[in-house]
Amino acid sequence: MGRLLDLVKSSYSEKRRIVAPLVGFPGVKIAQSSIKLAQQNHEEHFKVVSSLVDKFKPDIQFVLMDLSVEANALGLNTLFPPDDSATVMKKHGKFGTDELALLEKIKFDSDSRLLSYVKTVELMKRRFPAGVKVGAYVTGPYTLAGLIIGAEEAGLMAARHPEKLEEICVFTNDCIMRYAELLLSAGADAVCVLEPSGVMLGPSHFEKFSVANVKDIVKLCHTADSDCIYHVCGNSTHLIEKMVESGVDGLSLDSKDGGIYLSEIAKNIQKNIVLIGNISPSRTIVYGSPKEVKEEVKALLESMDSFPNYVLSTGCDLPLETPVDNISAFMETGRNYTISV
Amino acid sequence: MSVLENLKENVIAGNESKVLEYTQKALDEGIDLEKILNDGFIPGMDVVGSKFQANEIYVPEMLISAKAMKAGMKILEPLLTEAGIEPIGKVVIGTVKGDLHDIGKNLVAMMLEGGGFEVIDAGVDITAQKFMDLVKENKPDILGLSALLTTTMVEIKNVIDAFKEEGLRDDVKIIVGGAPVSEDYAKDIGADGYSPDAASAVNLAKKLLGK
Ligand code: B1M
Repeated sequence: MGRLLDLVKSSYSEKRRIVAPLVGFPGVKIAQSSIKLAQQNHEEHFKVVSSLVDKFKPDIQFVLMDLSVEANALGLNTLFPPDDSATVMKKHGKFGTDELALLEKIKFDSDSRLLSYVKTVELMKRRFPAGVKVGAYVTGPYTLAGLIIGAEEAGLMAARHPEKLEEICVFTNDCIMRYAELLLSAGADAVCVLEPSGVMLGPSHFEKFSVANVKDIVKLCHTADSDCIYHVCGNSTHLIEKMVESGVDGLSLDSKDGGIYLSEIAKNIQKNIVLIGNISPSRTIVYGSPKEVKEEVKALLESMDSFPNYVLSTGCDLPLETPVDNISAFMETGRNYTISV
Repeated sequence: MSVLENLKENVIAGNESKVLEYTQKALDEGIDLEKILNDGFIPGMDVVGSKFQANEIYVPEMLISAKAMKAGMKILEPLLTEAGIEPIGKVVIGTVKGDLHDIGKNLVAMMLEGGGFEVIDAGVDITAQKFMDLVKENKPDILGLSALLTTTMVEIKNVIDAFKEEGLRDDVKIIVGGAPVSEDYAKDIGADGYSPDAASAVNLAKKLLGK
């Protein structure tokens, strides 16, 4: 289907933007399903994401965002509320190298829930209309380490025993790579690395625990002729240079509320990196009116007019309670917009 | 460097064993307890807070400093109580119902301790009823509410409303924070104050108590 940058450039030459909100959970309402069902069953999951494609016709459709897939496949306690994303329970107690050795023995990539995500991607690839790119998510190596040992413990370990944490992140990345390989074989056009916990780190720690490992995921994606995208929530301005060093094709960045000024970042970034973002999911899309959504989307698009390397999206994933009319307003404004330069 | 300067520097560096060593040394030298607090721990945590605000250090560095300070304070606390030295104020703090995020709340709690407050940490996923019980039982000057999810931010308002309904609102100052919370939201829901980060939470708490 061609790589993201080519697609973005060719639509820019036609004065249009690629439109791809990070939307998954609102499809649960449209398809009259439940998050729990969709996150455990690939047919149901496919029903949810295809309801979004039918209704909104985005250029890229991702699977449901679920930071517990890999952690759950590693045997960590996970909660499955009916109408909320699966969540890894808080880790209690210390994590030692003995436990790492135990985790290494787990047949991670034969976990049924993880495989249900792979099968969903397979269905998306086979059944989506031509022209809709299929996106998959993996948890970032540092975030997965935090889910295993506890997010606070990971922060402490970064400062006190970086070599130990590096070892854990190499292990988590190995798991992530195995999962990414399956997703790519199933036909994912893009793999987005979700590294929300990375925002807590300074640039040098971020490089050591995340970027150094994500570089391998990027290579894997490129071997499959697919794209790799980095997503860090919150104010990741201090990490952008490092994210770029990983060799990724795109950066998916949080909203202005989160402290990200996209047009400023666009000025300082290489033109071969696609910026993806960054309408506020909560303030604008969940709590705003369709009129406010239209105004904000238009203002953002205008501010990005002179940058070819841009995809209109949301700053983060849209929650279940997002009004469908607001997603329609987002899509419509994006579709009807004509670049003025 | 004097013992207290060493103490301060090791709080900043987050070196727990050195903080313990210099706290003990300061006590052995007969330095006044309040002086250890005011010239060692508090200025150390002040520097940490300012560096965090200025993006010179990040969460891991702040966590180790806060943990080192907390370890040193463990030695001082019983002695302070024994000597009848009162904390500058009492705070109950917790993360609201439905929300399990606690790193930010823990940092706020530790910075408040470092700033001379007594802190009762209620933990995470705390209902309005539990907050009311804790306030009745402990009679704090300040109640701190933290929320990290847009879906649980509304729970802060529910807690404040519950305090009003029970006639408890005037018994305690309520401060709020967490990534999705803003100054405007805090005003709208009738909180006494909002702070964007742990360091300013200490200044806010002091200001509310007129310290
Ligand atoms: C009282 O006065 C005050 C004053 C100031 C106060 C204050 C109180 N409280 C905080 N402050 C302020 O001072 C602190 C220090 O300066 C600051 O605190 P912060 O907490 O903001 O900052 C901390 C120092 C560091 N920041 C953090 O600790 C949060 C980091 C991120 C990565 C995060 C983490 C680590 C976790 N998470 Co969650 N998590 C995210 C976060 C993404 C991000 N990039 O921010 C966020 C908040 N999480 C999110 C989500 C969706 C979720 N999380 C979940 C779970 C988790 C973990 C358990 C895995 C873990 C928490 C571990 C823990 N023990 O806390 C789930 C919910 C669980 C639940 N019911 O709570 C789950 C629903 C995901 C899931 N399904 O697994 C998102 C919220 C979206 C939204 N806007 O609603 C999120 C932005 C990431 C994302 N985009 O996915 C200030 O806000």
